[in-house]
Amino acid sequence: MEDVKAYIESGILELYVLGDISPEDKLQVEQMAAQYPDIKAELDDIAQLMERYAGEHAIEPAEQLRQKIMNSLLVNLGDDRNFIKQRKHTDEEEFEDDKIITLPQRNQFYKYAFAACLTLLLISIYGLVNLYSKLQDSNTQIAALQADKTRFANQVNLMDSQLDMYRDTSFKVLKLKGMPKSPGAAMVLAWSPVNKKVMVDVQSIKLPQHDKQHQYQLWALVKGKPMDMGVFDNPTGTDTAGVKEMKNVALADGFAVTLEPTGGSINPSLDHMVVIGQF
Amino acid sequence: MQRREKIAAEALYDMYSASLYGVIVRIVIHEELAEDVLQETFIKIWNSFNSYSAEKGRLFTWMVNIARNLSIDKVRSKDFRNQGKNQELENNVTFIDEQRNTVYNPELLGIRDMVANLKPEQKSILDLVYFKGYTHVEAAEELGIPLGTIKTRLRMAIQQLRKYFNE
Repeated sequence: MEDVKAYIESGILELYVLGDISPEDKLQVEQMAAQYPDIKAELDDIAQLMERYAGEHAIEPAEQLRQKIMNSLLVNLGDDRNFIKQRKHTDEEEFEDDKIITLPQRNQFYKYAFAACLTLLLISIYGLVNLYSKLQDSNTQIAALQADKTRFANQVNLMDSQLDMYRDTSFKVLKLKGMPKSPGAAMVLAWSPVNKKVMVDVQSIKLPQHDKQHQYQLWALVKGKPMDMGVFDNPTGTDTAGVKEMKNVALADGFAVTLEPTGGSINPSLDHMVVIGQF
Repeated sequence: MQRREKIAAEALYDMYSASLYGVIVRIVIHEELAEDVLQETFIKIWNSFNSYSAEKGRLFTWMVNIARNLSIDKVRSKDFRNQGKNQELENNVTFIDEQRNTVYNPELLGIRDMVANLKPEQKSILDLVYFKGYTHVEAAEELGIPLGTIKTRLRMAIQQLRKYFNE
């Protein structure tokens, strides 16, 4: 019995409870405890004391840690943090079970996420292309509208000047009529002796067609002599700008048009005269 | 089955997490790492529950030894060294106690008085071994005391505890 007491007093039981003991000593303590109830009782006592000591020094871990640890104990789904190295060694099978359950789920999630991303990307690209072509269309339309606008602005300017011509009372309107060779030919021009302007009404021109080597040339008859007033082309198709301004002349008895080689001649070829008109 | 496991796990956690965390955090010091260790501890407890048998001793003794071993592993691991938290060992217990004092339950005032009543050398040995994860051999070296004296003082400290708790 003295031995037992000495054994208890040695402090080895405390080290046993603290886990601070070699495997041989540990085995010895367990054998002694099985043999001597006093030792067993003392061991239990020390263990209980240490538990209370720990209880008195307890520190509550953070509240959210509880949920996290519960999850790692019970759920074991797809969270890498739950797979801590020690588990691999302590419970190989369960670890592998978990692996089988969780991996496909992770894969599936990423598969769907990837598919969703791809779909979104394709939709976006389609939308962008669509938008781009619409933008292009709009740009062409704007360009066309601007061209139209310029054309209309020009036309308005032109019509203004035409109107000015009609408002100006000094203008005299002269109808040039066809010659025997060209009875259908006709043309109207306006002449203002005051500001010397001569305007041909392009829409009124009804002259025979000519080839590219020839142009019509307008002549003013000044005291019986022809005076060059410039050349013009037979208007073609849509090219019907309202009036064409010719050279200036202050005095004229009448006007005539002849067909001349392109660029005009110094003297009119009278046998190619197409229209004439006199005041 | 799963529900029963859930209840068991929660009961285990609620009953022991604070006591275990108290030990872990005193050894590991760094709070985040201590939380990791607490998680590792419960996982290890949970997964090796079959290897525990009541004949070998109290459940808490078994669990706290797991917690302590994992804590010591953590302290000696790279993770911990990288934290650069190598404060002076003796200061740690007081440091943590001071920091944590406010969250203790009120009854603790008693034990603190009592522990304060322990002779300093008894307290430091008990805390070095229990809360710092020292082996008694290391404690002997640290304090420059023969092994036999360490054991005696350890036993005396625990006797003091017994006296206190039985009063």
